[in-house]
Amino acid sequence: MNGPIIPLHLLVMLPVLTGAAAYFLPRRAYQAVMFAGTLAVSVFALQLFISVRWGREVTQFVAGWPEIIAIQLVADTYSAPLVLLTALFFTGTYLFSTLAGYMDKTFMFLFLMLESALITIFLSGDLFNIYVVMELAMITIAILIMYKQEKQAVYDAMLYIMMNFIAMAFFMMGIAYVYRLTGVLDLRVISSRLAELQDPRAALVPYAMIMTAIAVKSALLPLFSWLPRAHGAPSAPGIISAVLSGVQVKAGVYLLIRLNQVFAPVVDTRLFFLVIGFLTAVAGFLLAIAQKDIKLILAYHTISQVGLIVMGLNLGSDEAFWGGMYHIINHALFKGLLFLSAGVIIEEYGTRSYAEIRGVLRRMPVIGIATLAGVLGITGAPFFNGSISKYFIQIGAQGSLGEFGLYLVNFGTILSFVKYFTILFGTPEIEPKPSRDPFIAVISLIFGAAILAGGIFGSQAVALVFGPSYSAAGALSVEKTGIFLATLALGIAVYRYGIQRIGNALSAVRTFKFSFNQITVLISLFFILLLGFSYTVT
Amino acid sequence: MAFIGEFFQGLTIADLAVGLFFIGLYGAMTQRNIIKTIMSIGIMDAAAIVFFVMINYETGQRSPVTGPSAEQMADPVPQALMITAIVIGVSVVAMCLAMYMRVVYRYKTADWKTLIRRLGDQ
Repeated sequence: MNGPIIPLHLLVMLPVLTGAAAYFLPRRAYQAVMFAGTLAVSVFALQLFISVRWGREVTQFVAGWPEIIAIQLVADTYSAPLVLLTALFFTGTYLFSTLAGYMDKTFMFLFLMLESALITIFLSGDLFNIYVVMELAMITIAILIMYKQEKQAVYDAMLYIMMNFIAMAFFMMGIAYVYRLTGVLDLRVISSRLAELQDPRAALVPYAMIMTAIAVKSALLPLFSWLPRAHGAPSAPGIISAVLSGVQVKAGVYLLIRLNQVFAPVVDTRLFFLVIGFLTAVAGFLLAIAQKDIKLILAYHTISQVGLIVMGLNLGSDEAFWGGMYHIINHALFKGLLFLSAGVIIEEYGTRSYAEIRGVLRRMPVIGIATLAGVLGITGAPFFNGSISKYFIQIGAQGSLGEFGLYLVNFGTILSFVKYFTILFGTPEIEPKPSRDPFIAVISLIFGAAILAGGIFGSQAVALVFGPSYSAAGALSVEKTGIFLATLALGIAVYRYGIQRIGNALSAVRTFKFSFNQITVLISLFFILLLGFSYTVT
Repeated sequence: MAFIGEFFQGLTIADLAVGLFFIGLYGAMTQRNIIKTIMSIGIMDAAAIVFFVMINYETGQRSPVTGPSAEQMADPVPQALMITAIVIGVSVVAMCLAMYMRVVYRYKTADWKTLIRRLGDQ
């Protein structure tokens, strides 16, 4: 198997370069050029993935410097599938909103810049490079979420950028400490030099600093307050919410995996992240239940699913780890689809409150079916992709306290989606009118089909994308289906007789906001907690 | 009292930068004025940059531009990296200030707590 057709740095630069070139063209032309650009990135990413998956991993030293000094780009079994996911996801969402009114030049340019930044995060093998692209992604996202400047968008974006900037200051302090300890910034060399340290405890302060920053990026328990603001921001178009929830949060989770591997010779904090992941998952669905805004329900739900992914990755068994990795892809598919369709629904109905939206299935059949597929996927219904990854994670937790936790998280997911489900049914107030946008229909059906295919060919999909092959036959067993149906019935019952009667408590949860000062205190607390934990285990 | 003097003499610029970092963090935790919190995070960023630049410095080293021998030069890598970090820091702080202006024009307040209350009223 040959290497990739184009060098990695060109793959990284391609979206930005197309965006910049297309900026000077008239409207029709620039849309075509930008689409061609994203499509080309997808093709190259696919080829890169194939050559990594069935060949060997690709390492590139930028500008021809020798190893250790050079900035390194690495495509391996973890990063290549995620690069492919990012490229395909951006192409899909781009097509989905081709005809939307907000797709002007500046917006598209920033959108492609975000694509470049995310691909670079996945491919970077160098700490400082990761820092730079994370800052780039942060600035781009801040502009994108306040692009329409409606309502409190500027406040949301300001809180987002300031909170993340503090995180990045922690990150840079961490990098500096690592550089003092090891004298390099290259992730692999850092790892091998950390193993030779005289006093492994010296690496704990930089570890805690870097991980605090990553925890902010991946929205773990006390540090997720930026996520619903950014992802569910009233002014952010559906396409931005989809990209942020589908891919950008995963960049944080990916760095969590990567950097934990780098620091593996020094410290093992899997227990800490397992507990934090569980708490994140629980807090996410509790807050999702309290929301009324359909985009906010989805945004809080992303937090819950990230918690589930982090649990899977840190359970310690191979099945659960790859289940977590597979759930990253699955979550991108169904949450992307749900956010995209939520954007269309909001535009069509002119409201964001779940109580006022009724009869989506009748008024917009295609969007309704897409939403249905997304909901079935996310709740882990049999035959849909969520069931496979959740099943793998569950295998890893078998017989431990974690298994009970997983049932709880799954119950919460179903409970919060019973609420979301209600928008599909009922009679719409206005007669349905035919949709004029063919792209929306085609793309949502492709996403929906991918969700279904990812479920039916679950174990083959894991083997195809990541390599290890596990049987997913158990995910379709009578027992699992029974558990799903029982949980579903319990969820509906609890929703009807429990949740709907405690409206006052819910509205208190809904309107509660952390101020910026409290968020900073939480960041510091997380840092101290993680540092304390790593000192006790080392 | 001699040990206090020794303590202060033993401090390096990198140590002071760590102190500055936590002063900035304290500011971000306690100040309710938005401008002051933006200044605080600017201080944190600047402290991290100073820390990075001074991290491998030893007394007597020269700048890595000219010099008789390589041993006398300071480590050039942090300096090259921190130029990037300074540019990023400046642009992020500038963006925060621009957003702050928007928020002030719209909500007529520079206080985080009041701001949250006024957001809820809308």
